[in-house]
Amino acid sequence: MFSTTLKSLLAHKFRMLATAMAVTLGVAFMAGTLVLTDTMRQTFDNLFADVYKGTDVVVRAHAAFEAPQGGGAQRGRVDAALIPRIRAVPGVSVAEGGIFGYARLVGKNGKALGNPTNGAPVLGTAWSDTPALNPFNLVQGSPPRTDNEVVIDKKSAGDGHLAVGDTTTVLVLGPPQRVRVVGIAKFGNADSPGGATTVIFTRAAAQRLVAEPGKFDTIDVVAAPGVSQTELARRIASVLPDGTEALTGKAITAESQSAIRKALSFFNTFLLIFAVIALLVGGFMMFNTFAITVAQRTRENGLLRALGASRRQILGSVLIEAFLVGLIASLVGIAAGVGVAIGLKNLLSAVGVEIPAQGVVVRPGTEVIALAMGIVVTMAAAVSPARKAAKVPPIAAMQLGMAGSTGYGSKQRVLVGSVVLAAGVGALLWGLFGDVSQPVRLVGAGALLVFFGVSILGRTVALPLSRLIGAPLPRLRGITGEIARENAMRNPKRTAASASALMIGVGLVGFITIFVSSAKASIDDSISSGFTGDIVLDTGGGVGGGVDPALAERVAKLPEVAAAAGLRQGVAQIGGSGTFLQAGDPATLFSIMRIDPRAGSVDDLDANSLAVYDQTARDKHWTIGSQVPAVFAKTGPRTLRVALIYSDNTQAGNYLLSRSGYEANFAGQFDSRVLIKKAPGVSTAAALAAVRTVSRDYPGVELLDKAQYTHNQTAPFDQLLALIYALLGLAIVIALLGIANTLALSITERTREVGLLRAVGMTRSQLRSAIRWESVIIALQGTVLGLVIGVFFGWSLVAAMHDQGITVFRIPLLSLLVVVLIAALAGMVAAVPPSRRAARLDVLRAVVSD
Amino acid sequence: MTSTLSAPVTRAEPTVAARTADASKVYGRGQTEVRALDGITVDFLAQRFTAIMGPSGSGKSTLLHCIAGLDTLTSGHAYIGEQDLSSLNDHQLTILRRDRVGFIFQAYNLVPTLTAIENVTLPLRLAGRSGDRAWIDSVITTMGLADRLQHRPSELSGGQQQRVAVARALATKPQIIFADEPTGNLDSRSSGEVLAFMRQAVDEMGQTIVMVTHDPRAAGFADRVIFLADGRVVDEMSDPTTDKVLERMKLFGE
Repeated sequence: MFSTTLKSLLAHKFRMLATAMAVTLGVAFMAGTLVLTDTMRQTFDNLFADVYKGTDVVVRAHAAFEAPQGGGAQRGRVDAALIPRIRAVPGVSVAEGGIFGYARLVGKNGKALGNPTNGAPVLGTAWSDTPALNPFNLVQGSPPRTDNEVVIDKKSAGDGHLAVGDTTTVLVLGPPQRVRVVGIAKFGNADSPGGATTVIFTRAAAQRLVAEPGKFDTIDVVAAPGVSQTELARRIASVLPDGTEALTGKAITAESQSAIRKALSFFNTFLLIFAVIALLVGGFMMFNTFAITVAQRTRENGLLRALGASRRQILGSVLIEAFLVGLIASLVGIAAGVGVAIGLKNLLSAVGVEIPAQGVVVRPGTEVIALAMGIVVTMAAAVSPARKAAKVPPIAAMQLGMAGSTGYGSKQRVLVGSVVLAAGVGALLWGLFGDVSQPVRLVGAGALLVFFGVSILGRTVALPLSRLIGAPLPRLRGITGEIARENAMRNPKRTAASASALMIGVGLVGFITIFVSSAKASIDDSISSGFTGDIVLDTGGGVGGGVDPALAERVAKLPEVAAAAGLRQGVAQIGGSGTFLQAGDPATLFSIMRIDPRAGSVDDLDANSLAVYDQTARDKHWTIGSQVPAVFAKTGPRTLRVALIYSDNTQAGNYLLSRSGYEANFAGQFDSRVLIKKAPGVSTAAALAAVRTVSRDYPGVELLDKAQYTHNQTAPFDQLLALIYALLGLAIVIALLGIANTLALSITERTREVGLLRAVGMTRSQLRSAIRWESVIIALQGTVLGLVIGVFFGWSLVAAMHDQGITVFRIPLLSLLVVVLIAALAGMVAAVPPSRRAARLDVLRAVVSD
Repeated sequence: MTSTLSAPVTRAEPTVAARTADASKVYGRGQTEVRALDGITVDFLAQRFTAIMGPSGSGKSTLLHCIAGLDTLTSGHAYIGEQDLSSLNDHQLTILRRDRVGFIFQAYNLVPTLTAIENVTLPLRLAGRSGDRAWIDSVITTMGLADRLQHRPSELSGGQQQRVAVARALATKPQIIFADEPTGNLDSRSSGEVLAFMRQAVDEMGQTIVMVTHDPRAAGFADRVIFLADGRVVDEMSDPTTDKVLERMKLFGE
């Protein structure tokens, strides 16, 4: 039986190749993702091991709270006065302060480097003269010796076209600093610490420019020979004040490594979702191919049964075939995975996500997972066709009929499909709107069930849908169009299965397009209603970064400007959970940013109080005068009074502090943005020109009118969209392979019909055209079903995120029309190989009776 | 019998609808060489019903395919009217088949997804023409298909399907119709019907039919029978009858 399977497999090389390709691509994607994350993990593990190899003990403040969205532990700084105390501990050879803060380097072209809002951080730190404690290796130049000398990382030197000896600007605390690049360094053996832009000052300058005088973020210690890390950490801990801790070098290495692993696991999951989608689509294609070939082999299987093969043997033979296809395809996929890993890295870097990964790390575990997934998906797809094959009675060998049923789906099928669909919709909505602990999983499972439900119902809707989609064809393309339409309609089961594979990809494209479009429209809406000013100075500094508050004060003094308010951003723990907040001067800010106060008074907003968004206050059961517990990295636990409740959070967010409150509780004073309202009677152009006279002293700060500001805010979504399109592209390519494969198999069945058409005068180009249009109908069917699902998904997510500021639901008709056109075009492309094969068919083979 | 078929003789001097000159078709090379056609020169007169007979492997189907432009000759020439088929490429041959030739095959004559009327007008529509409506109506009436036009092939009997095929072959008013064992899959009653319709097409509609068959009864409907063996014309007979053909076949030892 096994050799029969093998022979049948070898006899259909094309079929096997096309089918296997689908699984290969999915497995390659999965293996590539795993290889990439393994490589990144290894790179970071090595990096931290290398960076901390000379550090025996690290002293730092206890974690104050966890920042929102996985931002990590937030902690304050320790007193420089601790250093002499630590130095006095027996066994300490060296103890010195480490500093980390916000510093944004400006490149040669005057543009600030890095993207702290959406990418790797921008760091300012201090040069250490103790080689054991200095993670940086100079590759060029010398260490900084004076306040205006800096060393920069090698990546930034390349990105900013900066060389040793160049003078440039760094945005730090206070006015922008003019500095001279005296050295270029690597971080361990990486070009930069995890892609971060790094400026290394002298310790004194670093303290003053990026941190706080008299404070250090860490105190790093080298042990004297013969003293163990654990022993030294214990000794140091005994002299430390409350609120500080001493960690061994080993522990800090492990902590850094595990923090990175956690961050990478998000990234890994994100990519794996797309790999699973690709595999799933491959599974659909696999199912379709097996279903068709089993139907085509009905007589052959009947003969085997007549000759004494048991049902179990027939079932086994199909499953063994599936196993072999899955095995070979997965093996090729794993080999290709390395290439995919490199491709993914380039793709991510093309959309602005720099991946630090050196070499290629291939772990046996990775290979086994990808291999198993490929084989399982292939075999799972073959189970139902295999059972069908086993049910073939021996008498089928003697019967002429072939090509299985062309049914529209039984009543039970419609029932099962409807139940699955309803369950999917239910799970999705429950996950989005209900109070669930694992909403993401529930929503994911719901989405999957919706796809399965629609594909189970597919064959029932395929006939009317094909008729509808193909309706204009007879008029447009005459008899070839009519033949194309009839062919798409003749086997709804098959048409539906091919279309289903495409439906998944298009559904997700439609969904993400609608979601992003709605998000952008919401931002647009929020800026036009929440921002009542005319001009924005945007630093791109994100949370805890930005520009010297003096800029806003200088701008406010311009006669062309009615009001200017700096907006600060930060993280704190409020009411028990880590959250983002914003702050500004209540006197000016609320004339430029609409908040619609509902209760309390703006005037009451002082250093010891906060303003809360209406809905948030209701959720937390706070009213005016409530005492709210808060924790700040710098000042620790505090109690703040609710002084103001507002009902428009489109620009304000959920929490606002007064400027004095921010100054009291945050170490670095940066305006992330400066919002500006022009004076009455002044044109925007004149106001822009006036502001420019001030802002040009602050390189790296972008001067934007309202429209440009809106564009800047929505641009990251386009980047995300591009990335997701690219990642979904593979699933769509696999689906198109599926359509091509189905067409090729169908045409093999129709050899005689094709011959007849050619004999009575259908030209090759007419034949190709008929097949092309058939393919277009199948592709459009998948597209239409996909878009319906995509609109539903998009609508539900937008509705669920109404509180997160996605207030507008927008269906981008033009974009979706483009999707439809591309799908139609892709259908034509998919039809090229099968239609060429059909056109080459020997007419005689078809008409000569056997 | 002869007297009932005297009508064609009274027609004007017949022209040649198709012919071959020294036509050869060789499959394989060297040891495995098979000469399916071995220098055949034959004329098919217009407005006549010609049957080609011969044992299996005599080359009768190959001859039909080569004159019909479905297959190409190894050497020699085949003509439809004055057109030398060997000078045409695939596209030109397709157009020629579509516009000037009609086909009736043994089986699988119809496109299963199209209705009877759509099958009849298929070549015309492939050419982007609507054809001579009155002519098509008369063909349909003659073939007794008027009440079957909207049926798909699967809803028609074997005989009805072959009549649709004959109607399709006639629809374009072709220069010549080629039929390859058109009654091979039919019972004798349906065979008789289809053959009678073909006879009618020649007599009343002035069509030209060349038919390959191994059925002496079918050959009996023709004006002339050409006998092939081993790729050569070995005999021919005018005004055949079933008995005469049977007699002749016995002579060849079939």
